[in-house]
Amino acid sequence: MTVAAGIGYALLALGPSLSLFISVISKKPFLILTVLSSTLLWLMSLIVLAGVWRAFLPLKSTTWWPFAILILTAVIFQEGLRILFWKFYKRLEDILDAFADRLAKPRLFLTDKMLIALAGGLGHGVAHAVFFCLSLLTPAFGPATFFVDKCSQIPFFLVSAIIALAFVTIHTCSMVIAFNGYAEGNKVDQYFVPAVHLVAGMVYFNICAGVLYGCGHPGDGLETGSINLPPDITNFVHVD
Amino acid sequence: MQSSILDSIGVEIIGVMSPVSICMLVVVFIVYSLSSSSPFSAASAPPIRTAANLVYLESSSDSTSQKFEGALLNALVFVILIAVVTFFLVLLYYYNCTGFLKNYMRFSAFFVLGTMGGSIFLSMIQHFSIPVDSITCFILLFNFTIVGVMSLFSSGVPIFVRQGYMVALGIFVAAWFTKLPEWTTWALLVALALYDLVAVLAPGGPLKILVELAQSRDEELPALVYEARPTVSQNGIVQGRSLDILVGGVSDSRSVEMQAMSSNNADQNENQNRANSGYAVIQDTNFGNMEGVQRRDEGGRSLSVDILHERHSSSSSSSEYSTVVGNRDSEIVVDEERSPLVGAPEMRNGGQQMRDGLENSDVSNRGIKLGLGDFVFYSVLVGRAAMYDLMTVYACYLAIISGLGCTLILLSVWRQALPALPISIALGVIFYFLTRLLMEPYIVGTATHLMMF
Repeated sequence: MTVAAGIGYALLALGPSLSLFISVISKKPFLILTVLSSTLLWLMSLIVLAGVWRAFLPLKSTTWWPFAILILTAVIFQEGLRILFWKFYKRLEDILDAFADRLAKPRLFLTDKMLIALAGGLGHGVAHAVFFCLSLLTPAFGPATFFVDKCSQIPFFLVSAIIALAFVTIHTCSMVIAFNGYAEGNKVDQYFVPAVHLVAGMVYFNICAGVLYGCGHPGDGLETGSINLPPDITNFVHVD
Repeated sequence: MQSSILDSIGVEIIGVMSPVSICMLVVVFIVYSLSSSSPFSAASAPPIRTAANLVYLESSSDSTSQKFEGALLNALVFVILIAVVTFFLVLLYYYNCTGFLKNYMRFSAFFVLGTMGGSIFLSMIQHFSIPVDSITCFILLFNFTIVGVMSLFSSGVPIFVRQGYMVALGIFVAAWFTKLPEWTTWALLVALALYDLVAVLAPGGPLKILVELAQSRDEELPALVYEARPTVSQNGIVQGRSLDILVGGVSDSRSVEMQAMSSNNADQNENQNRANSGYAVIQDTNFGNMEGVQRRDEGGRSLSVDILHERHSSSSSSSEYSTVVGNRDSEIVVDEERSPLVGAPEMRNGGQQMRDGLENSDVSNRGIKLGLGDFVFYSVLVGRAAMYDLMTVYACYLAIISGLGCTLILLSVWRQALPALPISIALGVIFYFLTRLLMEPYIVGTATHLMMF
C-alpha cells in the first residue's frame, strides 16, 4: 500500500512528462542532452537562490511579505535565466545550422526548433518536480503520511504532487511560448510567460496564506501561528 | 522528408551516458533497499576492513579531525596501492604477458561476479523474501558468472552481453564500495580523481604508458572497459546513412578513456585484500576496436563492400563522417580501397573542420570507451549521496552526467585520451555539499509552506 502510494504520487507529478519524454524526447539524443542541460541550469539557479536566501531562513510564518519577496525574487531570477537560455540557444542554433550545411542536410525545421524549446521547458519542469516533489517523497514510501498545518485536509505529498504537475505543465509550455515569442519578436508572448509564472507562484502562495480559499475550509491558513516545523515525527499520522 | 540533423547529433554521448545512468540507478536502488536490511546495514554491521581503509577504521564516536586525518590516510594508502598495482600491470604488459593479464582479469571478474554479486543477490533474496532454494540459486549464479567471464575477452559474444556484464561488474563493485564509512568515501573519491588526472595526463603516468604501448602494438587493452558501440542498427535511417561513413568506421575509432578495474571483493577474509584490489586506469586514443582490427587483419585493404556495410550498419550510427566521404556513393569504393593509414589523417582534417563548428558532434568517437573504474566511482558517489537524501542523489547525478558530457566535449576538442573522473567527481562533490548545506533547508522550508515556484 505504501509503496503503491509513493509510486502513485511520483507518477502523478511526473507521469505526463515521463510519457512525453519517452514518446518524443528519447528518440533524439540531442533532445535528451537538452533536457539534461536545462535541468542542470535550473538546479544551479535553485542553488544560487538557496544560497542567497539561506541567511534569512527560517522565515517567520506569521508575516506574509517575506514569502512574497521570496517568490518574487525567485520568479524574476528564473525568468532572467530563461532569457539567458534563449541567448545560448540562439548561438546553438547558428552552430547547428552551420553544421547542417556542412553535412548537406536541411537546416533546422520549425518543428525542430520547437522540439528543442519543448525539451528545454521539460528540463525546467522536471527539475521543479524532482526537487520540490520527488525528493520530498521519501517518507511517503513508509507506513505513514504527512500533513502540513496549512493544509490539514489533504496529505502533503498529494498536494505537492498536484502542484508539481501544474508547474511541470507551466514550465514545459511556457518555454515553447517564450522561445516562439522571442523568435518572432512578439511582445505579448514575451510578457505572458513571466506573468503566468508569477501568477502561478502567487496563487499558491495566496492559497496557503489563506487569502484565497485554500485547501480544506476557508481561513485554514492564517490562524496557524507556528508552521516552521520541519517534517518531524509529530506531523506524521499513520494510515495503516 | 529528409531527416533533420537532430536525429544524429549526440548519439555517442548518449551511448555512454545511458549505461552510466543505469549503473547509478541500480546502485541507488540497491543502497536504498538494502540499507534497512541487516547484512548491509551500516549501523549494525561491524565496520569491515578492506583495502580502502587499511589504516583507519572510522567509528562515529571519533572527533572530526580524527576522522579527517584517518580518511586522508586511508585514501593515500589506497591510491598508493592502486598505483603500485597499476605499475605492476604495466610492467607485465610491457613484457608481453598479455595472456596472464587476460586470465587475471577473467579471474577477478569471476570473483567479483561470484562472491560480491552472490552476496548482493543473497541479501536481495532475503530482503524481498524471494522463494528460491539454494541449489537453484547456486546453479543460476554459477551460470551467470561463467557467461560473464566468457564474455570478457571473446569476440564471439554479442556486444550487448558484454556491455551488460560490464555494467553489472560496475554495479557490484560500487555497491560494495558504498559500505565504506562516509569520510573515507569522500577522501577516497577525491584522491582517486586526482590520481586519475595524474596517471592519464602526466608524462610517465602508468596509464599513459599503458595506452601508448597498446597503441603502438595496435592491440586491445587487456583491461575491463566498456565499449559504447551501438549494438544494433537502430533504424532505417542509419542503414541508409551508413554508406557515408564507410571508411571512418574502420580506420578511426577513438576511445575516450579506458579504465580497468579489477577490484576484488575484499571479503571478510582480511588477508586477501592486498594485491587483489588492483585498479588500473587506462586511457586511450585507441586505434580500431576489436572487430575492426580483426577484420582488417583478415581482409586487408580489400574488404568487400558488403562486409563493411554490414559492419557499419551494426556498429555505427553517426553521420559525421559524411563530410569526409563527401556523401557521394560513387566514391565509396575508392575511399574504401584506401588504406586506413591514408584515410585516417584525412578523417582527422575533416573532423577538425567540423569540430570548430559543433562541439557536440564529437566527430570520430565511434567506439567511445569508458573504463569500469569510472562506472564504479560515479556510482559510489551517487550511492553515498543516496544515504543522505534523494535530493542529493538527483543533484549528484546531474553533476556527474554533466561532467561526463564536458569530458566528452573536451575529448572531441583535444583528441587525446582524457581522464573521466576529475571533472565529474569534482562537480559531484561540490553539488553534494551545496545541496546538502544550502538547498535542502531552503527547499524543505519553502515546500512545507506549500510554496513552489
